[in-house]
Amino acid sequence: MKLAFRLLVLLAVLALGVWGWRTLRERLSPPLPPAAAADTVQTGMRATTLFFADAGGDTLVTEARELPEKSDLHARVAQLVDALVRGPQHRGVAVLPAGTSVLHVYLDDQGRLTLDLSPSFQQGFHGGTQAEDLVLGSLVRTLGANLPEVKRVRIVCGGQPIGSLAGHLPLDQPLDPHEAD
Amino acid sequence: MLLVLLSTLAPLARAAPPPPAGAPSAPVARVDGVPSIGADDFARLLGGVQFWRSDTRKLVIRAIGHRMTFTVDVPIVILDDRTLRLDAPVRSRGGELQIPVSLLTQLPRDTTGMHLVLEAGGTRVRLVPAGGLVGPPVVSVPSADVTRLAIATAHAEEARVMGRGRGHFRIWLPGAAAGPPPDSLPPNALVRRIRAFESSDGVTYELQLAPEVQSYRLVTPARREQLALELSRVPGEGESFAPEGPPGPRALHVVVLDPGHGGADAGVQAGGVSEKDLTLALARQLTGEIEARTGARVLLTRTDDRALAPDDRAEFANRSRADLVIALHFDGVPGTRARGASLWCPPASYAGESDASAGLPLMPWRDVALRHAVESRDLADDIASALDAHGLGPARVRERLPVALLGVNAPGLVLECATLTSPDDLARVTAPDGLHDLAVAIAEGVLDWSRH
Repeated sequence: MKLAFRLLVLLAVLALGVWGWRTLRERLSPPLPPAAAADTVQTGMRATTLFFADAGGDTLVTEARELPEKSDLHARVAQLVDALVRGPQHRGVAVLPAGTSVLHVYLDDQGRLTLDLSPSFQQGFHGGTQAEDLVLGSLVRTLGANLPEVKRVRIVCGGQPIGSLAGHLPLDQPLDPHEAD
Repeated sequence: MLLVLLSTLAPLARAAPPPPAGAPSAPVARVDGVPSIGADDFARLLGGVQFWRSDTRKLVIRAIGHRMTFTVDVPIVILDDRTLRLDAPVRSRGGELQIPVSLLTQLPRDTTGMHLVLEAGGTRVRLVPAGGLVGPPVVSVPSADVTRLAIATAHAEEARVMGRGRGHFRIWLPGAAAGPPPDSLPPNALVRRIRAFESSDGVTYELQLAPEVQSYRLVTPARREQLALELSRVPGEGESFAPEGPPGPRALHVVVLDPGHGGADAGVQAGGVSEKDLTLALARQLTGEIEARTGARVLLTRTDDRALAPDDRAEFANRSRADLVIALHFDGVPGTRARGASLWCPPASYAGESDASAGLPLMPWRDVALRHAVESRDLADDIASALDAHGLGPARVRERLPVALLGVNAPGLVLECATLTSPDDLARVTAPDGLHDLAVAIAEGVLDWSRH
């Protein structure tokens, strides 16, 4: 009888210990995250407008294209510049020099985008004033059309300010993407 | 055997010379009463190559992607593997075959749509570029305030305003002029004179407008084979014209010519020529032409092959107290069909919008050329008009402040005289008289500007 009583007390103490331990664990542990969903994340597409030169080399033409959604500014600008370098899928002519790529971008609180392009932008250019106008128009108007937060674009090359692309149109001041042709 | 074959073919196998500037055409002669065109002219207009087979008396012309075989005294032409029947035989006169013009309507167009047509009156055959036939403008006055010019064209959407000054308002359209512009205009019309200038691929109509015209707009009617230009006395009913300076002659004592590029900076390179050499050679020729016409003293920013910084060029012009600065360049737009000249001057709207009541305007020295924007714009119009009139166009006036005018305290412009990446322009500029023709046209434009 005495033995049975001791067993009962031992069981009660054990049960109390287990309950206490579980309660304490629940209180100290953070809530479990919800069960992870299956891998259903898809890359969104974004409607963009790209500006290329017309075949007559006289003005710019637009091309609507779906490009993968990018979250950060650098990736979005780099994607647009890359699309311009690769050229149009329909009518028009690519005018950005081959090899041009984005090194850095910086957007200040006034909407001024500083765009640092690779040296190929300047070294790969071979043209006159009209060609410069088309290159700058293609680049700046594409950025303005797809990045509403960009109000002005300052172009630098290889981390250094440049006076112009090849001596014709000034780049010492920011350009207005919405300036009429 | 080879020598015999060569003696049969080679001496007579020759590429046709490049067509002349303007709308290429050739005379029509009557041969045995049949209107005919000479085979040399026929091949030249189409940019073809001729081969004469004396043993069979056959002439082969390869042009517009086809092979055409003509046989003397036979009214048949073999076009590739097809037979075209003419209304009269091909004849030989003075060692040249004469081809009945009835062939023209049976010829296919080349891949660009270029083709030959018999002009009204039947005295000339002309090459019509891809744009087809254009105009002439039909002027009407639908109301007291509006004058309307209707221009027949299949490419209204490609119309370009090449200059927006009232004295030289110019519109370019692809194609060839179907006829001369009207000599007489309605007395109450807002247009005083119309001139047409043709280049190899388009027509520029230059309008001299009444001073009271305030706005213009281009309209493409539902019937799309037409472009309409509406001129209005009412401001704000369309685009505005470039501001104008006061009339009267302008003092012209010192002209500074600035040959672009130099030294390690060769500029545009095409066909074995460098822009830096062309600009210097043109500046030398232009010096004499301007001095002879205006009596002004002409100074060059560089007289040899050396590099000059933009600041040095501007300082030279300012120190010389220039009345006029012309920066000479040649353009290049790789990968496109760009051609012709462009003239880059400070935006004239700047001076037009200045407000004297706002007090002394503060302007960075960099932008000082904007003070002379209206005069610069007038100069651009005068030179562009002269280039077009000499068949050196199309010439387009663009309003952008170029690097060459930064810090220049004088009227001026950057003149891209031609587009070297265009084979036509390159051939024209490098022809023996190419630079001389340019110098004459530019000097005439400068003279017009000084007389205003």
